[in-house]
Amino acid sequence: MDRSCHLSLIIDLSPSQWHLSAQPTNPHPLSFQTFLSLVLTFLNSHIAAKHENTLAVFGALPGKSTMLYSSLDADSSNTNDPPADANSYRPFKFVNTIVTKNIQKELDLLEGLTEEPPVTLVGALTMALCYINRLAHPPPGSVATETTTEADARILILSVSPDLSASYIPVMNSIFSAQKLRVTIDVCKVYGEETVFLQQAAHLTGGSYIYLERRDAFLQYLTMSFLPPPSIRHMMAVPRQDKVDFRAACFCHKNIVDIGFVCSVCLSIFCSPVPVCSTCRTKFPMKTLQRLNASRPSIPPANGVSNGSPRPPSARPSQGMSASLR
Amino acid sequence: MPSATGKAEEQQERSLHALLPFLQTQSQTSLTRLYQRPSSCLPIFRLLGAVERQLVMNLLWLESSIPTATMSSWVTKEGKTHFDDALDLLTRLHILTNNVTTKLGLSPAFKSSMRQAITGGGTSVSFGVPAESDDKRHAPSIDALDAYALERWETILHYMVSSGTGQMPVKPSQGVLFLLQRNGLMAMNQGQLQITSSGFQFLLHTPHAQLWELLLQYLQMVEERQMDLVEVLSFLFMLSTMELGREYSTENLSDTQRAMLEDLRDYGLIWQRKASSRRFSPTRLATTLTSSLPPLPTATNTGGAQEQGFIVLETNYRLYAYTDNPLQTAVLNLFVSVRSRFPNLVVGAITRESVRKALLNGITADQIISYLTTYAHPQMRKNKPLLPVTVQDQIRLWELERNRIKAQEGFLYTAFASQADYEYVLNYARQLDVVLWENTAKRCFFGSVEGHANIRGFIERRTGGGG
Repeated sequence: MDRSCHLSLIIDLSPSQWHLSAQPTNPHPLSFQTFLSLVLTFLNSHIAAKHENTLAVFGALPGKSTMLYSSLDADSSNTNDPPADANSYRPFKFVNTIVTKNIQKELDLLEGLTEEPPVTLVGALTMALCYINRLAHPPPGSVATETTTEADARILILSVSPDLSASYIPVMNSIFSAQKLRVTIDVCKVYGEETVFLQQAAHLTGGSYIYLERRDAFLQYLTMSFLPPPSIRHMMAVPRQDKVDFRAACFCHKNIVDIGFVCSVCLSIFCSPVPVCSTCRTKFPMKTLQRLNASRPSIPPANGVSNGSPRPPSARPSQGMSASLR
Repeated sequence: MPSATGKAEEQQERSLHALLPFLQTQSQTSLTRLYQRPSSCLPIFRLLGAVERQLVMNLLWLESSIPTATMSSWVTKEGKTHFDDALDLLTRLHILTNNVTTKLGLSPAFKSSMRQAITGGGTSVSFGVPAESDDKRHAPSIDALDAYALERWETILHYMVSSGTGQMPVKPSQGVLFLLQRNGLMAMNQGQLQITSSGFQFLLHTPHAQLWELLLQYLQMVEERQMDLVEVLSFLFMLSTMELGREYSTENLSDTQRAMLEDLRDYGLIWQRKASSRRFSPTRLATTLTSSLPPLPTATNTGGAQEQGFIVLETNYRLYAYTDNPLQTAVLNLFVSVRSRFPNLVVGAITRESVRKALLNGITADQIISYLTTYAHPQMRKNKPLLPVTVQDQIRLWELERNRIKAQEGFLYTAFASQADYEYVLNYARQLDVVLWENTAKRCFFGSVEGHANIRGFIERRTGGGG
């Protein structure tokens, strides 16, 4: 029996990026309105697949993240009921109305803002993970139906904003939590540059990362790549990325680095050799620093195969910093 | 001997719903008529398996059909057979247009209705017209609907289980009785309706399977009653997309569908204030038709905290059932010898006699075990394996006891003229794999009935050719 599945959708709601995306100078301009109607169709397809499928929608807004829809609340919130209509299936209509209304409300709140802070994608991702965790571990005493506890959960991120290198550590932590919860993270880059961190998120959780090339075929991309639940992906192949950018951000300046220097004790990453690790306060011998500094330019940047595992400290009595190749 | 539950499990594995084979037997014209309503497409789509659903979705937004090779490049090697099966099923349901070997495309009727269902809009009015809210008479609460559905359904089951035991439970309506009889679940015996062996098996199924079994029989009788099958099906599907606890108007229904209201009221699928009422409410039985959620409200038997499971089975064959539900007690009575009954507890034991009685009624060991597994108490779920192995094995052994002799029809071949003749024919029979028993010393062997024509022909050819 195929099981029900849960989808947490994270929509990147950066007004400036969406403005850029709608510019007619783009090869395939995609306005937010069109985007939203296609996403709603996709959400309906997800609920259509099975009666028990659940859904949560999160918005990553500039400076805040918020929950736009959750099928757990759907039953109780009868106050803002859309009028009944014999021409449409009610759950679909319900999702569409609530999501559109909440997005409009959040965007209206942004009106007064003069400067746009970066979108808090990590906040939304964390909220989604917490939500899935709550589904997987219902509080004792509540009537836990088996369908919710067994459900396959996955997260789909529709991203338009560029990478925020400051959020490297939170993103990695979210990825590890997702791995632990066995949640697949899918990423669709709708507009803008490729993002390094989201590529890694999809790769490490077994999801698929797609850079949207033909934006006029957005719905078809969504349906074919992101609609199949993880359980049937071994039969219906979904595209995976063939190369993954594994670069990390350094802990000192939050820059994405090609060559990093890794503390041999706590594995913190730095963009240049430092005498004292800022995380664990380990002091490194002067000699090592000099050696590393001297060897820096000689390391060819293309030689990035090993992912920088430092020697264990016990192997060498004198602690030192090791150069990490990405 | 494949048991009924075994089949059901198999079907679930391939996730083939019981209704789909029935739909496959329908003509293309009636299916196309059915697909014209968005509210029918959506439930049918939900009854399909995961791969089929994905295929339909992949094709839904394409304007023209695409080469099959393009689609199959999305399928991994392991999924190939699944994919072919899916294509086959979808073609037989006429969801895909006919020539799947070269091109894939959804049939126009299905495509446009499914699109309408997903995006909303249109003027099909197929998802049920909600009744105007009435200030004087409020819509029934969900609890009231649940209680109603449960009462209706249990009346049917209880009538079945206690037929022939001398008790006189409440009789379901004539329509239901007729349906049970036609389905072979009950039969007339000395002027009285008696439960049959398939009826006993029916009792141990899950409510969802029971409901569909009855509805399928209902669908099969539709033609005899001069009703339009498409109308009936689309009404059932419409019910499954309706919302629990909401009242709908009967105004847009056709005459056939109005006639169905009465039948479905008897089964507990819908609730009406009175027979002439112009509004109706679907119950949980109806709204969960196309889902795998429990169709009947749980936790009604002992009130509150308990979930579905209520049976504790110990390694010493003792069974404690925390229930005060007469139906569940009666079902347990089929294969448990009950020792004592308390207000909320039934204590009994599984004995050789009680199991043999069940086996004589046509219930199989697998069905007993699967019933015990389904309704095991939450405390039991901590055990691994869930049921004590000794008890499971013993129930199976008791079943085997009854199957010591296996009868097989066939022919005995004797009086061969020579050993060579005998061996020559025997070899031929062995090649056909029809030899059931042989004795070289007596020069005779026993072949099954299927092989007889061949062997006889072979011998005749040989004797005819030789002499």
